[in-house]
Amino acid sequence: MSPPLPLPIQLVWLIPLYGFGGMVVALPWASGSLKRNGQRPAAYLNLLLTLVAVLHGSWVSLEVWRRGAQHLSFDWFSAADLHLQIGFDLSLTNLAALELVTLMSLFAQFFALGYLDKEWSLARFYALVGFFEGALSGLVLSSNLLMSYFLLEMLTLSTYLLVGFWYAQPLVVTAARDAFLTKRVGDILLLMGVVALSAWAGSMEFTDLYRWSADAEASGLLSPLAGTLLGLGLIAGPMGKCAQFPMHLWLDEAMEGPNPASILRNSVVVTAGALVLFKVMPLLRLAPLAITVLLVVGTISAIAGALVALAQVDLKRAFSYSTTSYLGLVFIALALGQPGIALLLLLSHGFAKALLFMSVGSVIATTNCQDLTELGGLGTRMPATTVAYLVAAAGLVGLLPLGCYWCFGLGVQALWAQSPFFAGVILLTNLLTAINLTRVYRAVFLGSAKPKTKRAPEVNWLMALPMVSLTVLVLLTPLLMAKIDPVPGIGAFPLPVAIAVALSGLTGVVIGSQVGFDQFWSRSIQQPLRGLQDLLAFDFYTERIYKATIVAFVAGLARFTNGLDRQGVNGLVNGIGRLSLQSSENLKLNVSGQLQSYLLTVVISLVLLLTSLNWLLGAGAQG
Amino acid sequence: MTIPGLMTIPWLSLLLLIPFLGTLALLLWPGEPSPGRLRTITIALLSAQLAASLALLLVFDPAIPGLQLQEVHPWLPGLGLNYQLGVDGLSLPLVLINAGLTLVSAVCSRDFSKRPRIYFSMLLLISGAVNGAFLADNLLLFFLFYELELIPLWLLISIWGGSERAYAATKFLIFTAVSGMLILGAFLGLALFTGSVDFSPTAVTSERLAMGSQVVLLVVLLVGFGIKLPLVPFHTWLPDAHTQASTPVSVLLAGVLLKLGTYGILRFGMGLFPEAWALLSPGLAIWAAISVVYASLAAIAQTDMKRMVAYSSVGHMGYVLLAGAAGTPVALLGAEFQMVSHGLISALLFLLVGTVYRKTGTRDLDVLRGLLNPERGLPFTGTLMILGVMASAGLPGMAGFISEFLVFRGSIQAYPLATLLCMVGSGLTAVYFLLLVNRTFFGRLAVTPATAEPVQDSRLDVQLAPVAPRETVPALALALGVVVLGLFPAVLGHLSEATTTAMAPLANLLAMAPTGGIG
Amino acid sequence: MPVISAALTRQGGMPPAEELQRRLLAGETLLADTADHLLEVVGVLESYGEVLDAYSINLIYQAEQQFLNPLPIFKYLDGDLSPAKIWRHLLHDRINFEYAEYCMKAMLWHGTGGMDAYLDSAPFMERCEAIIQRKRRADPLLALLHPLFPAFLPELIRTAATTHALGQFWRVMSDLFIDLAAAWRDGRVASISAVVEFVKQGLVAAAAAPITYAVVIGADTFWVLPPEAGLTFLVDVAVPYVEAVFLRGMPFLGTVSFNAQAQQISPDQGQFAYGALYADPLPSMGAGIPPSLLMQDMYRHLPDGLHQWYQQRTRGEGDVRVKICASFQKAMFCVTNGAINGTMPHPLGTEDPAAQAANQAYAASWATRLAAARTDCLTAESAALA
Repeated sequence: MSPPLPLPIQLVWLIPLYGFGGMVVALPWASGSLKRNGQRPAAYLNLLLTLVAVLHGSWVSLEVWRRGAQHLSFDWFSAADLHLQIGFDLSLTNLAALELVTLMSLFAQFFALGYLDKEWSLARFYALVGFFEGALSGLVLSSNLLMSYFLLEMLTLSTYLLVGFWYAQPLVVTAARDAFLTKRVGDILLLMGVVALSAWAGSMEFTDLYRWSADAEASGLLSPLAGTLLGLGLIAGPMGKCAQFPMHLWLDEAMEGPNPASILRNSVVVTAGALVLFKVMPLLRLAPLAITVLLVVGTISAIAGALVALAQVDLKRAFSYSTTSYLGLVFIALALGQPGIALLLLLSHGFAKALLFMSVGSVIATTNCQDLTELGGLGTRMPATTVAYLVAAAGLVGLLPLGCYWCFGLGVQALWAQSPFFAGVILLTNLLTAINLTRVYRAVFLGSAKPKTKRAPEVNWLMALPMVSLTVLVLLTPLLMAKIDPVPGIGAFPLPVAIAVALSGLTGVVIGSQVGFDQFWSRSIQQPLRGLQDLLAFDFYTERIYKATIVAFVAGLARFTNGLDRQGVNGLVNGIGRLSLQSSENLKLNVSGQLQSYLLTVVISLVLLLTSLNWLLGAGAQG
Repeated sequence: MTIPGLMTIPWLSLLLLIPFLGTLALLLWPGEPSPGRLRTITIALLSAQLAASLALLLVFDPAIPGLQLQEVHPWLPGLGLNYQLGVDGLSLPLVLINAGLTLVSAVCSRDFSKRPRIYFSMLLLISGAVNGAFLADNLLLFFLFYELELIPLWLLISIWGGSERAYAATKFLIFTAVSGMLILGAFLGLALFTGSVDFSPTAVTSERLAMGSQVVLLVVLLVGFGIKLPLVPFHTWLPDAHTQASTPVSVLLAGVLLKLGTYGILRFGMGLFPEAWALLSPGLAIWAAISVVYASLAAIAQTDMKRMVAYSSVGHMGYVLLAGAAGTPVALLGAEFQMVSHGLISALLFLLVGTVYRKTGTRDLDVLRGLLNPERGLPFTGTLMILGVMASAGLPGMAGFISEFLVFRGSIQAYPLATLLCMVGSGLTAVYFLLLVNRTFFGRLAVTPATAEPVQDSRLDVQLAPVAPRETVPALALALGVVVLGLFPAVLGHLSEATTTAMAPLANLLAMAPTGGIG
Repeated sequence: MPVISAALTRQGGMPPAEELQRRLLAGETLLADTADHLLEVVGVLESYGEVLDAYSINLIYQAEQQFLNPLPIFKYLDGDLSPAKIWRHLLHDRINFEYAEYCMKAMLWHGTGGMDAYLDSAPFMERCEAIIQRKRRADPLLALLHPLFPAFLPELIRTAATTHALGQFWRVMSDLFIDLAAAWRDGRVASISAVVEFVKQGLVAAAAAPITYAVVIGADTFWVLPPEAGLTFLVDVAVPYVEAVFLRGMPFLGTVSFNAQAQQISPDQGQFAYGALYADPLPSMGAGIPPSLLMQDMYRHLPDGLHQWYQQRTRGEGDVRVKICASFQKAMFCVTNGAINGTMPHPLGTEDPAAQAANQAYAASWATRLAAARTDCLTAESAALA
């Protein structure tokens, strides 16, 4: 038996509880039971708990760095052949993800103090963020599929509640609903996979599942159809969480929610979803079709997401589609067996996208506006916001040697030999993203001031401080990446690849800086171009397609069933019932009349029943 | 753990005596006691019943799979009717739910305008009868209690119900009377065919019968309990009964009385006719799936909140049939979980819908808007409602999830298609309940038809009576139960596992055996 | 469709613009003159006056003492760093100064009136440059940022100037409202029309008061809003304030979508109607409704009489802050009423047809804007339910 683990590792189960605890401590304020005082203490307590989570997580990372990966599990529920456990897999990958989650949560919560300074219902917001953080940090540490599913669903719930935070706003009502239902579709498909796997493989631990899938593949235990269905079920959950086509619509709508939540949603939530995919990838050996689906979905998401982003006039949506696009690249990398690159991309995208959304939040807070056509000229007046935007953009585009540049270099290098098409997808996505970031930069920060940007002081310190800190972090991302991935090193790609990546980024920047704004947002008169613009601006009409297909189908079926129930089944029953209508009328009279006589009737009928029984049985015995 | 003296108390009879004597006491109470007084007495009696039910936990040995704490007294031996009681892991949680929910329904009974004496005595009578049905270890005794619960419930609907109460109550009466007749028919048929006059389920075995007779009897029994459950297409009485019943009665109906159907199917359908059960179970799984999907789809189209929750009940009880059809230990434990969690969740939802109705005068989804409004709306009710619907939709961390997971996990190998269909039903639950929450609680506070012009809408001033903190206590307690059971399912698993596991092989082994029977 | 009992809902009558214009020209008050209204308006203005006192002190403190401070962690403490005060601050047992800043931002952002014009003038830019040059000597961060982002510091100085000006404006209003309550207790004010007249007199008396602002850096004093700019109370601060806060306002995140594609927000700020006179009191204290902060502050300073009056109505203490908001809206109609009367081009009793026409045009322009506001609160019946 190995020596006992150090206390921080033994107590690792506390880390998700800090987040959930944050929700609990916010309750007195959120429920309005402290009426005379404001709700800020709930925010401070949540920040404190998140800080504790960050420190605890760092300590565990340090210990794991020293001792190697650890695994902890606790029994949760057993019955018959079913053993469900709470398991924590303390690998460096998971802990890096945990750091990302807790740190981003800390930054976002601090940022929210400033962004939501005029908000009264702060306690509810912080309670929800605490819940969110708890589910996320449990999810990234989870060592078994059931716990991952459990927390993914909690994440779905907290997304619903966070998007629905401003519940009185009409578009929020539909946005929250759609976010929940879209994710729920993915979750139910995932649940089908989880339940099937639990029945087939017994254990839910990922390591056991990997072993089982290897056996199943070797022995042909599972029919190809079952394997394929299983694989499709398993990828459906991450697809929904990562907002991949065709389940991407919710992320657009979720932008109705508060910006600090958008920061988390576009950076860590999608990352957590991709981590689940990362963990189930080895199981997909049973389902070659699922791999193909991942590649197709990833490619469509990467390129179509980037294209749709180009046509958005809304500041937040221009970047939420870019999230779909980057996660598409992650899907491709995972599907092609490059998990290392996928993880690095998640990390650098997570930091940079969070920073980008902070910058966006600053712009919205200052100008009360997220319409690109009404913004402009902020660059000289808002230093922290402008620098944050530029650094985040540099971190996302493969041009300057920040995070994503190295990821794209590694990706192109790895895929060039394997399947050059996907290397091309990476370069194209890079180019399109560069166009998008450049045109938004021009629209928001350059040019002359518009009426809504005429008076634009820099944001208050509560927003500026986390933004500047994160700016520094994004600048340091390459060092962090080099630390995580020492072999073969983040620069392990030849010069031609480096040039190709930089060139695609540069081309994007040049195009983005040259194209007239009219071509982005005024509708062209020429028909094919106009059609294309509208197609992209309205996200390939996905919402309308959904309405016309799935929603209409379910609604129609529901109406049909209801009609059948009222007219058919119930009508039949009533027809029969009408025969006894007369007697029921009598009963009714009696009810309003003498109740006591009624009880008497009951007693008498019981006696009669017993007597008849006696007779019946007696007759039976004699006969 | 044994405490001397505890074992000598006839606990099970006590669970019948408290409510039955309470009924008598209320009916015979001298003078004209005030309604508040009657309510207090009822709550005291039901609290005593809950305490006695909880005390069972001290003397109950979860390791024993079969019936325990049995009490046998001959009554009409010629008829085979004996006063025979026993409790096991299947019935104990249901007895607890019965005690808890009847107490909840008495606590939330506030409208005393009509015949309070009858009202509260009927509540007690129902609770006693349900206890009797769950504890009876004799088919005829079960039947008597099963019928005994019918009359008071019918009275509760027809006297204290809504405007269409006569129609709904009559419908309820006819359906359940038919249900009772079919059940009695099946029991008597079993006795006649086997020539036994012993109605103790342990003594009755159907295996001597020809398979044809077994199947006929089982089908009769299934239809009988299927009406109570209820299963599509025998469900139409339930939405009507719920919409007309008052809130406390709906709580009882959904939380407790439907469980008589599932309990009966598992205890008697599966228990008495293992061979026929094995033969019919593929059909039962399909029936369950159809019932789940049909009810979920019908629920989506409802605009009355109560009807929606009622259809949701139909759907959720279908899972129990699926689990029974699969008959694996995990599935049967899941069935037990599902019965308990549905009891808690549906009671919670009916309580909350009742609160909304009491404050706004409507349950129409096209009329209510924005009830989350913190000052003028019903924010606490809304919060609990979100919790309740999420639990019902099977969100993890709450009782619904572990129940559904166990049912699905236990059934998927036996009946993959039916299980997947039921999961789709679970997904549809999220659809209709999300519509309910989004429509009624989100948006600007308004009590106005959706067709009203938006300008008028924004100028509408809504005056709703506030929800007093004490009004929320029952719902809060149920919500707490839902979360505790969801996070610590071992609490219930510990009580029931031995029994459900022992019930399982019966069906399973026989499923393997060649069909055809002996007779 | 179930029928909703009439007692549950109420639809306010909306007087048309012609009626509002008639009332203004006839010297009638916009708000119906009833005893309940008087209690509501005077009571809520008294608590508003106390809150404005705190707001005003803090805004002036911020503008003078926290000028260009990059990390103004203690900006709401008015310089009192005692542990007790910090503890109360942490417990959020305090005035929500965030709302004062919110109003300041609304004024700055909408940018109307004389002060805004001055903030864009060459003399102002010269003063900014002088201040920045002095400040750079001591502050390396600013020394670095200013050449890179030349418009950054002037924008912050404009913010500070607006902050100070709003502080001065609220100083006057706070005193006026507290005096009003005293006058009501003395019996000098006994009707809504007397309230409107009191406010009008107060505004007229302060109309020409100069608005100035200077900062001290090291030992040097710099004028930001110098006396020679000639900024005055009524036209340069009060009128822009009414425009920015009473009328235009800013869209609430809790009720309006900022989604550019949904186009719920007008591109022209002049078309905005999110101000106090247009606001819907019902969602008060909900999420994304900034005036909730003010309602909370007034709730903590509610005079006893009004508090009891609220407790006897609707949900009593349960929805008191919605009722405060409704009363506050009525009070703001009275203040607007006083401001309109005070700025009427000619006396109402004038016989000169040209003067009458000018008055009519002026009243008509106001009536048109107010007709779309929440004028349903003006009727006598509205007091019974609100």
